[in-house]
Amino acid sequence: MKKQSNSHWFVVVALVALALPVTTLNAQGGRGGGGGVGNNPAPTSPVTGNAANGKPLYFSYGCYACHGYNGETGARPFVGRWGNLATEDGFIRFLRGRANVAPITPSTSMPNFGEGSLPDKQAKDIYAYIRTFKSSAPELKDIPTLNTIIDASKQEKK
Amino acid sequence: MAKSQKTSVGRRGFLKNAAAGAAALVTTTPLVEAQGQSTATGAAPAGGAPAPTQAQLAREAGNVRPPLAVRSITRPGSDLMVQTIRDLGIEFVAANPGSSFEGLQESFINYGNPPNQMPEFITALHEESAVTMAHGYAKAEGKPMVALLHGTIGIQHGAMAIYNAYHDRVPILMIAGNDPDFIAAHTAHDMAGMVRSFTKWDAQPKTLDEALRAIQRAYNEAITPPMAPTLVVLDSELQKDNAGSATVPPYKPPQFVTVDAAHAKEIAKGLVEAQNPRIAVGRLRTPEGVKRAVELAELVGASTSTAAANGPMSFPQRHPLCGPGADTAYDYTLGLEAAGAQASITGPALAKIAAPRDPGNIGFGGLGGGGGRGGRGGGANAAAPIEADAEASLPLIIEEVKRQLTADQKTRIQERAAKHARANHEARVAAITQAAESKRAGWNGVPISTARLYSELWPLIMNEDWCLSSPSGFSGGHNVQLWDHNKPYSCLGGQGAGGMGYGAPASVGAALAARGRNRIVVNIQCDGDLNYAPGVLWTAVHHKLPVLTVMHNNRAWHQEFMFVEYMAGVRGRGEDRAYIGSTLRDPYIDYAKMAAGYGMAGEGPITDPSKLSAALKRGVTAVKRGDPYLIDVITQPR
Repeated sequence: MKKQSNSHWFVVVALVALALPVTTLNAQGGRGGGGGVGNNPAPTSPVTGNAANGKPLYFSYGCYACHGYNGETGARPFVGRWGNLATEDGFIRFLRGRANVAPITPSTSMPNFGEGSLPDKQAKDIYAYIRTFKSSAPELKDIPTLNTIIDASKQEKK
Repeated sequence: MAKSQKTSVGRRGFLKNAAAGAAALVTTTPLVEAQGQSTATGAAPAGGAPAPTQAQLAREAGNVRPPLAVRSITRPGSDLMVQTIRDLGIEFVAANPGSSFEGLQESFINYGNPPNQMPEFITALHEESAVTMAHGYAKAEGKPMVALLHGTIGIQHGAMAIYNAYHDRVPILMIAGNDPDFIAAHTAHDMAGMVRSFTKWDAQPKTLDEALRAIQRAYNEAITPPMAPTLVVLDSELQKDNAGSATVPPYKPPQFVTVDAAHAKEIAKGLVEAQNPRIAVGRLRTPEGVKRAVELAELVGASTSTAAANGPMSFPQRHPLCGPGADTAYDYTLGLEAAGAQASITGPALAKIAAPRDPGNIGFGGLGGGGGRGGRGGGANAAAPIEADAEASLPLIIEEVKRQLTADQKTRIQERAAKHARANHEARVAAITQAAESKRAGWNGVPISTARLYSELWPLIMNEDWCLSSPSGFSGGHNVQLWDHNKPYSCLGGQGAGGMGYGAPASVGAALAARGRNRIVVNIQCDGDLNYAPGVLWTAVHHKLPVLTVMHNNRAWHQEFMFVEYMAGVRGRGEDRAYIGSTLRDPYIDYAKMAAGYGMAGEGPITDPSKLSAALKRGVTAVKRGDPYLIDVITQPR
């Protein structure tokens, strides 16, 4: 049975705010997952964790749940945005920022990741893995399916 | 119950005769002993119903043979029940078998010429599936079909689906059997009591004539706003006894509450005289209502809003007048099953009937009016809604508009409509272009993005007559932005009460509506949802239903996974254990093999996005041929 109380839907809608700002949905859609393709360059700040160790942790700690397996999809994609992921320290500060305050103010629905549940070493490994992510999005002109959809929309409707 | 002893072939008499007949044929002692027990009254445990006897269980298991000579019944009451249902125009009856309605089932499959048509008997594998099929069918067609339920146990199996349908305000005519002389656990003095809180009306008639009238009344109650499931309980004796001189009573269609003449005139005046009117359209009852809404919008050149991308029976999403239009300063707004307009016509709320029928208050206190499922009018100076059926009111308003329109106004309206059409077209192209741009995120990622899944599918069906039967919220809702929801059944929307196990059976119901109408059904199927009652895949194959099932297989009840993860975070412990009880791992489920087990063609699991389009093409080709098909796609979580 799904829960549909307002508080839960708030979680659904607002889940996880790693990458800001959120892309605005188009006027006629209103709904639709993902946030589009970000264009910000990837960070170049130092990385001290181990990406190979971070890969299973990204999965087991459920990062993929809201950011997709590749950081490009889901409620809050971060590839091409980066935001709070600009530096390793910033990332960990963001994880810990509300470890003892639930929910954090200002509000965010990103789960708390206190050091008791996600130690610094693992957090740095996850960060190292995240930093390996790259956009898999081709240019729009190179995706025939999407161009077919756009072309079809240009036909006058009766 | 008034019945003739001469013509009755009651349960006890049948069992007695069966015992004698079987004993004459069979000399093995176990069966004779089992028959012998049939006359004994089962001892009732303290505080409970008596357990079935060995004879009763043998009867249920089919081990009792019919007697050598039985009284012939040539015009059973159940024939008249089926004729009553047929006269109501009901196309299908879905059920898995139950001994409490065997008389009725026999009539469904044998009565009439040709038999088993109008309605056709659809074999379900679970009562929840039978009711949800009726749910999906009603949303696609705007009218009920029958779900047939076994006494007590079948109703309880179907209860979750009834609850969904009730919340979704969907008309379903449910019929349950009752077998007072047989297994006590399958009988009840007040059979509907267990689901009364979420049915609109019920009856347990005592005579055949009452039964036939109850079926007609239940149909009328179901299709009258607020629409909802209704239940008639039919005793087995009424089904099996000779009908005698009884006939099907004349049917009287229900009266729908409409706006009065003064309101119709006032609304027409508002629309005709406005410089820039708008019509907000929520969810109407039937395709006819949609047709009337389009007629009215075109008559007055109003820009419109729609709920068509979220549910059935609303204004065509890509109609030239659908959108903000050339000018968003609206000076008159009409809401059709949409609240918040200057004139909002909304049907009565379910809460009105829930109060007397839901003494336990199990969750209907929050149900609102008709606007709750439709759009918002959004106009300034919103007035209190007029409680009437918008669809039934439309002909009155249209007639009044035609009467009031002058030649000059017609010309002005044509010019305004042309401007709206141009503006909406430009906005539409811009919006879809922007949406397409956003969908390329993760395009080549593994596993497959839900955006790509919806994007690849759309060009393959856009020139077909299609129906998206499944909720799309859990799979990203990308259809809302990319697809054209132009038919009353383009998008059937959510479950109603959020009960899982909905997508596949609702899609089978939608496919019942599609079969024979050259329409195909697309079901983007969440994996957790399918596992509640997957046997409905067999029903799709058995009845050759054109439904394409594309798995949104994220190997989890993913929403719940996120809830648990969040909760662990709040408590500062163990997000890495959130998978326990909320994911479908170790082992992964192979849905193509599951489909194959039910006889359905399919393929997968597909994880490589470059292989998706070809698989979808094969699937669309199959369903256009009339063969259901399943594609297991391993996807991103959302």
